[in-house]
Amino acid sequence: MTIPIVPKLLRSHLSDLAERDARIDGRGRWEGRELEVQHSILPRAEGSARVRMGDTIVLAGVKFQIMTPYPDRPNQGGLMCSAEVRPVAGRNWESGPPSPESIELGRVVDRGIRESGCIDVDSLCIIPGEKAWQVILDLFAISDDGNLFDAFALAGITALRNATVPAERFEVGEDYQLSVSKTPIMCSYHRVGGRFVFDATAREELGGDERIHITLGDDNNVHSLQKGLKGIFSADEFTEIMDNAIERTEKLRKIVDEL
Amino acid sequence: MIDENGVRADGRGPGDIRPITIETGVVPVADGSCRMTWGTNEAIVAVYGPMEAHPRKIQRQDRAVLDVAYNMAPFSTTDRMRPGFNRRSREVSKVTQDALESVVLLELYPRSKIRISIEIVSAEAGTRCVGLTAASVALADAGIPMTDLVVSVASGKINDVVVCDLNKEEDNYGEADLPMGIMPNSGELVFLQMDGDLSQDEFKQAWKYNMDAAQEIHKLMVEALNGGDSQ
Repeated sequence: MTIPIVPKLLRSHLSDLAERDARIDGRGRWEGRELEVQHSILPRAEGSARVRMGDTIVLAGVKFQIMTPYPDRPNQGGLMCSAEVRPVAGRNWESGPPSPESIELGRVVDRGIRESGCIDVDSLCIIPGEKAWQVILDLFAISDDGNLFDAFALAGITALRNATVPAERFEVGEDYQLSVSKTPIMCSYHRVGGRFVFDATAREELGGDERIHITLGDDNNVHSLQKGLKGIFSADEFTEIMDNAIERTEKLRKIVDEL
Repeated sequence: MIDENGVRADGRGPGDIRPITIETGVVPVADGSCRMTWGTNEAIVAVYGPMEAHPRKIQRQDRAVLDVAYNMAPFSTTDRMRPGFNRRSREVSKVTQDALESVVLLELYPRSKIRISIEIVSAEAGTRCVGLTAASVALADAGIPMTDLVVSVASGKINDVVVCDLNKEEDNYGEADLPMGIMPNSGELVFLQMDGDLSQDEFKQAWKYNMDAAQEIHKLMVEALNGGDSQ
């Protein structure tokens, strides 16, 4: 990704807004953008989702492959999660090998889903030591207006929760629904104009500083954390964000579970 | 694949195309964009520019350059498509670029670049045609001046019968494939490929099917560009 020049004017504008507790698009500090979640929208994927948050749009697709289990874990299948942000999604994204930014995106989303234990890897075994399912979750950005992290995480868990294991196509039994026992949800906070806000837009990201990503599971258990970009934050600031994340993830989880 | 009355497995006649929808403005952060579904194909195209062309060595003093990238998303195919470089995508990108450079008024934007990203998020058969057609709609949506839109459509042959717009099952048993890129107002061509085996008569029939289909598809493109989704 090419990092565009950050106009000083934008930074000072964001600081002025923050002093009045306002945001560039008129939202409140903890207010998210309008959210739209759809599932099963891609005919070639075994599970899929489309998430729209304001002008940020992402797709998630689940595919399955048959793998040989690792020798030290003969009864387990695998989960792989990768994120791609191609030039289609914004003028600053470039083609070529995956950028550090998109690798971080994929890995942070992956950890949240993997560590929550929502996918029972033992249930992915077909023949111990010989055959197991590998679940591949591909996250794909269509339009980047900021906070791809939350959009990817939400699309990812939605696609997994609506995925069908294509056993018939691989001639290993009948198709069945992938079992996903939990709904881990990520919430991201960016420092903009000196204080943290929820669900930053691309302009807020551009003129802001560090970001913090929190993934919480069903019982508010913490499954992944990530601090990104240059910046220093205090314990009190983190507590405030965590309290907000607890409240926010609960609402988002309800949306995904009720789809 | 096709019965004695010329009815195909999915109920179409030999000259019929699959259902098409076209929508513009689907990538809000882009200067122009298009989503096109054609059968179970789905392409999303974003246009950025004209913008500064860099590195500088790609600049042309007298005209703009196009930077066309055609890509298939990992979940677009039955078996997962591994992300990254592949020869097929490179070739499709190149011929698509050659086609679009033939209609865009490049000389209006010296030293600049127009980036066109074609993402196939669901592939059935004929993705290069969907990509090229959708790209010309996205360019128009971005307000880039062109001499004409480009409609791309393919005809082929199954069980010795020439048919238009092969679907996935037909494509698997196809005996020929003739994709064309047509300027609908003049009937001129900017893109042409072919592989397989066609007699001179079969070739003429395939050509005619493509020309007729182009007019039909062109109507949907214009409708989408005049506001309102086409169905």
